Order: sequence, then C-alpha cells, then structure tokens
Amino acid sequence: MESPATIEPRALEHGDLLAHDAVPAALISMRDIWKTYEMGEEPLHALRGVSFDVQRGEYLAIIGPSGSGKSTLMNLIGCLDTPSQGRYWINGKLVSEMDDDELAHIRNKEIGFVFQTFNLLARATALHNVELPLIYAGISSADRHERAKNALSSVELSDRMMHRPNELSGGQRQRVAIARALVNHPSLLLADEPTGALDSHTSIEIMNLFERLHAEGNTIIVVTHEPDIASRAHRVIAIRDGQIEKDEKIR
Amino acid sequence: MRQLLRSDIYENLMMALGTLRANKLRSALTVVGVVIGVWTVMAIASIISGIDEAVKKAVESFGTRSIIISKFDPGIHVGRRSREERMRKNLTYDDAIALRALPTIETSMPLLDITNNFFGSKLNVSANGKTSSAVRLQGTLPDYDRAGIMIISQGRWFSQFENDNNEEVCVIGSTVADTFFPTQSPLDQTIQIGGSNFRVLGVFEPREQLGGGGTGTNDQNNVIYIPYNVAHKLKPDAEQVTILAIARAGQMDEAVDQVTDMLRVRRSVSFSQPNDFGISTAESIISQFRSITAGIALAMVAISSVGLMVGGIGVMNIMLVSVTERTREIGMRKAIGARRKDILWQFLIEAATLTGFGGLVGLLMGWATTLLIRLFVPSYVPVWAPIAGFVASVGIGIVFGLWPAWKAARLDPIEALRYE
Repeated sequence: MESPATIEPRALEHGDLLAHDAVPAALISMRDIWKTYEMGEEPLHALRGVSFDVQRGEYLAIIGPSGSGKSTLMNLIGCLDTPSQGRYWINGKLVSEMDDDELAHIRNKEIGFVFQTFNLLARATALHNVELPLIYAGISSADRHERAKNALSSVELSDRMMHRPNELSGGQRQRVAIARALVNHPSLLLADEPTGALDSHTSIEIMNLFERLHAEGNTIIVVTHEPDIASRAHRVIAIRDGQIEKDEKIR
Repeated sequence: MRQLLRSDIYENLMMALGTLRANKLRSALTVVGVVIGVWTVMAIASIISGIDEAVKKAVESFGTRSIIISKFDPGIHVGRRSREERMRKNLTYDDAIALRALPTIETSMPLLDITNNFFGSKLNVSANGKTSSAVRLQGTLPDYDRAGIMIISQGRWFSQFENDNNEEVCVIGSTVADTFFPTQSPLDQTIQIGGSNFRVLGVFEPREQLGGGGTGTNDQNNVIYIPYNVAHKLKPDAEQVTILAIARAGQMDEAVDQVTDMLRVRRSVSFSQPNDFGISTAESIISQFRSITAGIALAMVAISSVGLMVGGIGVMNIMLVSVTERTREIGMRKAIGARRKDILWQFLIEAATLTGFGGLVGLLMGWATTLLIRLFVPSYVPVWAPIAGFVASVGIGIVFGLWPAWKAARLDPIEALRYE
C-alpha cells in the first residue's frame, strides 16, 4: 500500500475540481491570470495577475490605453487565446487549459463576438451571415433559417435579410453582426470597440441596442478606449500596465 | 459522418461556387491547365477507341480463320527492310498448294498482286471508253471464294477449270462496277486489263471499310480478281506471292503451328534460325495494332498529366492568394466557432470545386471534339474516360489545395483578425 505522500501528482485536467478552488458560480471567473510573450531576451508581461468575476446579467466595460493589456484580456475572455498562468472559468467550464478545438467549441457556444469592423462576409446576405455560427454548431438548415430570422428581427432588420453588407449602412451592418453574435444564444456578448467604425449618431443607436439587450438579460462586455461608451456600462474595469487599476460599479 | 455534417459540404460547395462567380476571370485562367488535361484525355480516348473499333472490325472482316503468310514480317514498317528480309526467297504457288495437305487447314491459295511490279509500272484497266490504273489486280484460285472475305452479289466466281485453261475471266469489286458500268449490268461485259479482254463473271458485294475507305488502290472495293495462271502470264515479273490459308473451325492455333512447321521445312530453315517469312492472323494484327495504340495512349496520358500538374500548381497559387486575401474572414470564422478542420474543409472544397469545374469544361470540350471526330471516323468515348477525367481533376484540386487549406486552418485567430 502506497502512502498518500508518495503518490505522484498527475497533470491537471480541465474540469478537475480542487478543494481550494471549487467551480465558481460567476459567469466569468479569472484567477491570477498572467500572459507572457517571449519577445527576444526580455519576456513581455501583457497581463500580470489579473483576477475578477463577472456575474450573469452584468454590463461591463473594460477600458485602458493602448498597450495596457486590454486587448490581451479581451482575447482571453473571448477564448481566442489561453493564459500563460492562472485559471479562467466561463459558465463553469475551465477554459484556461483547453486545446484549439475545445476553445472553438466554447467560442461557438458561449461567446458572441462583435467586432469593430463588423467582419461580415461581403458576398453573403445578412441572413447567411447570421446563420454562420449555427453552421459551425451543426444545426440543420431549416432551424438555422428560423433562428437567424429571429435574431435579425430582434435587431430590427427583418426587412433587410436578403441584403448584402454593401447594400447596408454602417449601423445596419453592425446590427447584422450583433444578430450573428446573438443567434447561438451565447452566455456572453463580447464587443471590441463596437462603435469604432461608426459616426456618433449611429454609435448612440448601437449603444441603445446594447442597453436593450442587457435589459433583456444578456451579459455584455464592451472593450473600448472611449469614455462615452464605457460610461453606458454598469461596471467599469480599467486596465493599466497589465493590471486592474480600477474596478467600480458606476450604476 | 457527424464531423462531415458539421463542416457541411453543401454549404461549403455553395460558398465555393460563390467565390468562383465573384472571381470569374481569375478562376477561368487558373483552371486552363486542368481543362486542357481533361480535354486531351477525352479526345485521345475517343480517337483511340474509335480507331481500335474500326481496325478490329476491318481486320475481322478478313476472316477470323484466315492465316496470311508473306515473305516479309507483318506489321507497320518504316524505312528500308533489313538485309536478311530483302534476301529472303519468294513464297511460291507450290507452297500454297502444299499447305492444303495439313489436317487443320481447310484450304489455302496463293495471291499474286499484279497492280504494280517491282519498278512501279501499272497495268491499265479499261472498259466502256474509260481507263484507270488505280484498280487493284489480284490473281488467285477459285478456293478464295471459301475464305468468305469477298462475297459475290451477282454472277459467280471463276472455276478451277477456267484457271487451269488460262481463261481470261474476272470478278470485279463494286467500285469497279460503278466506275465502268454505271448504267448496265457488268455481267458478261468485257473489261480490258493490260491489253487483254476479260469477261466479267461476277460482282462483289461492297465491303465495309476502315474510316469509309480511301480512293484508288486504297479502296478495297476497287479490285479485280482474275485466275492465278492468267495473272502470272499477264505480268511474269510479278513474283511476290502471298498465301492465304483458311484454318478449320476451332483449330486456329494448331493451324498456325502446322503452317509454320511446314513452311520452315519447305524453305529449309535450320532448327536454330527464326522464321524467314511472316505469318499473321486477324488476332495477331489486332494485338499488334493495340500495342501501338497503347503506346500512343500512354504518351498522351503523360502529356495530359503535365497539363493537370500545371493546372494544379496554378490552383495552389490562386488558393494561397485566396487564403491571404481572406485572412480576416478566416479569423472571424474561427472566432465564431470554426475549428481547424472546418477551415481546412472549406478551402479544400473550394479548390476541388475550382478544378472540378475545369474538369467539367474539359469534358464538354472533349465531348464536342468526339462529335467532330465522328464526322470522319467512327468513334465513341469509353465510359472510363469522363469518369477518370473528372476524378483526376477533383483529385488535383484536393492534392494541390491541401497546403493552402492547411495554411488557412493553422492561422492564429487573433493574428488573422488583426490582419490588414
């Protein structure tokens, strides 16, 4: 019989429960996240021990100057990348140790991305663009149509479903992108400078839409450097030099 | 299967067709190599199969039981014959008659071609005020009738008696009948050959000929058969006798062996020497022809695969461009949940669609070419050719699309989304 002291610790697998670190109840839970890039001689620490939770139904803005680690944090939250150190749960799943395909699955199921430059397929209709995440989710063609139509009508674009991006205004394009982000009912809507390519009037329109979506129960994280946009959120996390400088509820 | 469903081939196909439509000129230029490759395969397959069919038919109409023995080796011959061949003894009338003693031989007869002699001088044929020197003149024995090669449609063959008595009689081919006696029955008419008057005893049925036949002496219906003795007398310098032996039914192989043995003995060929005469059958002519067409086919496959390779490299190039142009799209797809596998499939299917489309165009052009060829020679496209052509073109897309698709699949989503 081996004594407990001689048992080799096996490598951690994601989803493993540790006594001191039970699965958090928060939607997003980051614990001492580090992201280090090996650039030449000096390792570059983009994030230095970031920890925070986001509860379901929160409307959060992440702000910070360029080079602050804001984009790195967004990529980690969006499961586009994994941290060098630390643990990250989204919706109870430990994503910090997942492989590429598992991350793709999480992105598909849990996260709806909204990009600054919309990133719509230029040659596809609004409807097809919105269907795209459902294709990767393996949903049948009839269901896809139905759900994409619903998502488009929730952003008030029912009458533009068969239009291509070049036949739509900037605001309409971003609404198509938001419909695409919502269509798979993600746990989190993650927007990266969502108004960066829009004029101020359209920006307000889009921010009003975010507000409505939040009121409908969606969890929203907006990454921005514009104070105006950040001030629409209910909580703001300010990042500087890879660390959380400020984390405050403003509403 | 579940995996395939997720990457959704149909969706990818539609997307790929959309990309093709959006880049019409670029796509067309890219697949030119593939089009030419497939087109060549189709055209060559139809030409070769058409000729093959025609040759088979033509040779078989010579009789599947016929054994043809000639002084020279059979087959297509280019340039001067070898010294050994030129030094060979002629075959003789007596050789032909001697073969009749063999148990596997039904009959055999000499054929003496007196159309031209060694120096190329021709005998004129004239009747009804018309003259021609392009008629093929053959002397043979009445047994030729039993070979079943030429069939009498009117009148009769000459008899052994007529041959033995040097009677100047003849049987004429349908072209001869049409040329000299267009309005009347040629039977019992007189036709002048080399200055002597011949009585027409019979007319042959027209023979179906390879590729519609030629003109002049290449027209197998432009022929006159006269008794062997008369032919020999008419042109004493004509000395190249060919022997036609007819094997008994079902004894072809034995007959060829026996004929070979007998001729070797009669011509005193020593045990260690090869035959000093040529012997061929319908089967041997067809297989010889096939060995030539197989060589041509192989060369053509090599040429068309060069076309396909060039096409493949073009496709790889354009797919690499496409991957670069669509880096942000790939980043977006990955962000919304596409796995490496999904991206890989997307670009593989796009490449295969591109070349498959080129293959289809090649097939259509090949098909049109076949229709064109059919105006001249009977030809058909064997089933394997379009299938092989299409499969090869799609395969080229997949093989040459693999690297660009792999490059796309491996892109880091963050880098890709940031790409300008």
